[in-house]
Amino acid sequence: MSRLITWAAVLVAFVAVPFYLEGFWLQTGLFAMSAAVGAIGINLLTGATGQLSMGHAFFLAVGAYAYVSFSDDLGLPTPIAAVLAVLLAGVAGGLFSPIAGRLRGAYLGIATLALIFGGQHLLFNVEHVTGGFNGRAVPPLEIFGFAFADAPELILMNVPFGALERLWFLGGALLLLAALFARGVLRGRPGRAMNTIRDHEIAAGVMGVPVTRYRAGAFVLSSMYGGLAGVMLALVFQRTVPDYFGILLSLDYLAMIVIGGLGSVGGAVIGAVFVSLLPQLLTRYSDALPLVSAPGSGGVSPAEAARLLYGAAVVGVVLFLPGGLLGLLRSLRLRLPSLPTPLPDTRSSHVS
Amino acid sequence: MTVRFAGLTALDAVSFTVEPGTVHAVIGPNGAGKSTCFNVLSGVYRATTGSVRFGTAELTSLRPHEVAALGVARTFQNIALSPRLPVRDNLLLGRHRLTRAGFVASGLRLPGARREERAHLARVAEIAEFVGLGAHLASPVGLLPYGVQKRVELARALAMEPKLLLLDEPVAGMNSGERVEMAELIVSVKRSLGISILLVEHDMGMVMRLADRVTVLDFGKRIADGPPDEVRADPKVIGAYLGES
Repeated sequence: MSRLITWAAVLVAFVAVPFYLEGFWLQTGLFAMSAAVGAIGINLLTGATGQLSMGHAFFLAVGAYAYVSFSDDLGLPTPIAAVLAVLLAGVAGGLFSPIAGRLRGAYLGIATLALIFGGQHLLFNVEHVTGGFNGRAVPPLEIFGFAFADAPELILMNVPFGALERLWFLGGALLLLAALFARGVLRGRPGRAMNTIRDHEIAAGVMGVPVTRYRAGAFVLSSMYGGLAGVMLALVFQRTVPDYFGILLSLDYLAMIVIGGLGSVGGAVIGAVFVSLLPQLLTRYSDALPLVSAPGSGGVSPAEAARLLYGAAVVGVVLFLPGGLLGLLRSLRLRLPSLPTPLPDTRSSHVS
Repeated sequence: MTVRFAGLTALDAVSFTVEPGTVHAVIGPNGAGKSTCFNVLSGVYRATTGSVRFGTAELTSLRPHEVAALGVARTFQNIALSPRLPVRDNLLLGRHRLTRAGFVASGLRLPGARREERAHLARVAEIAEFVGLGAHLASPVGLLPYGVQKRVELARALAMEPKLLLLDEPVAGMNSGERVEMAELIVSVKRSLGISILLVEHDMGMVMRLADRVTVLDFGKRIADGPPDEVRADPKVIGAYLGES
């Protein structure tokens, strides 16, 4: 019962946000939702299966650019372009899966570096598809005549509903569906097989798990989550920028799942929110913060300060919070039994 | 069968047959090749020459999950469970080959996947009861005492509903009380489930009590093979264990 009330409160708060908060917060929240979807994907691979991937940014790029190209170049309806973009990211993961299935842990991490560098080379040089250095403008999504854009004008309860307000609900729905799907996978038969591959690969094989096939499957699934995150990101940012899809983005994703908690959906979401909110908060309040100055003025820029901070957060989590922020919340809840948390009760499991 | 690692011959033309419905023990001093032998049988290593047959099926070139699919289950000498998952999930992993739900069915929680999960959960609870783990189903394996974890290993192998069970030192590191319990458990597995058991063990008392037939390895060679009493009296076996020539 208390669980139901918690969820209802979360829903009300979520619906209220676009009516009260300004565009900056909506955009920040939308970035966090996109990051959460991507982080769930890499947590399925790295956290649950123990396979390191440095190539997650590549699959975001595939999703983002495929959406633009399918809708603009091929003239497909935008929802179909979005679905195809996610599938294409899955196909890209599938093409890499003969390697992803056979390499274990950190070795896969090294191999996936190739995806990042190869991918960025293509983004910069296949100009007729990717727009080269300047990227491309992203056409707004339009479902049954309802456009996720500023025009046509829409006013709800005296609040103008522009692109960000409309995307807010779409992003929330996509994140919820992505989270529920991943939770089903992790708690079911595939999740147990993936966890055992991480904990004891030989035992997994002997218990009847086709290890290579499952590693490949987890890689494809994680690529599709990356693709969906890429589509969401493109819709919010309204432009694809090749520079963005580099190795730093992949590292951000790894930082998210380590900080949030490896192997669970809740951990991925918490980590994604933390890592994507931090630089935005620092930028917003750089005037008021010591040591942080506006970008370009010589001091520590907010983006750099954010990286330093969550670098420290990664170290802190590894040393003191083996379960990540999710584990911390859970142990707090155990100590304060009357306090319900809004987190889904996902299985905690971490790379040893 | 023969197994070579680079220049080292770990198993040299070793051959034996496990009769259906019996307990067959493989014993030998440290480094005799017992574990290598197990790894070949379960598909983890591949024999350099020779063959492994299970009924009419040829196991020699199969991968571990294909061997498991034929109904061969094994336990590990060093516990190979997922420590953070509860006992229930570790046992459900044993049901992997008997269940079907894939990524899509589990992700969407399709009715078939949920029904399958419920049915197999019920069977897993039965198996846990049989092995004496009924009270621990929800506990993470890592929090349980060593002796109990060894029983989870056995229960996970039983959850595969195997025809042949390979037990790699099931009582290693246990105290005497736990040893007696485990020995009784193995006897009741053989009696009530009719599973053939191949056992690697150092505890001679237990081997002599449980085994219907014993194969003795030393330095990768088979030095004796026969009923326990006969093997115990074999001068070569006594030599290998006591260091006489």
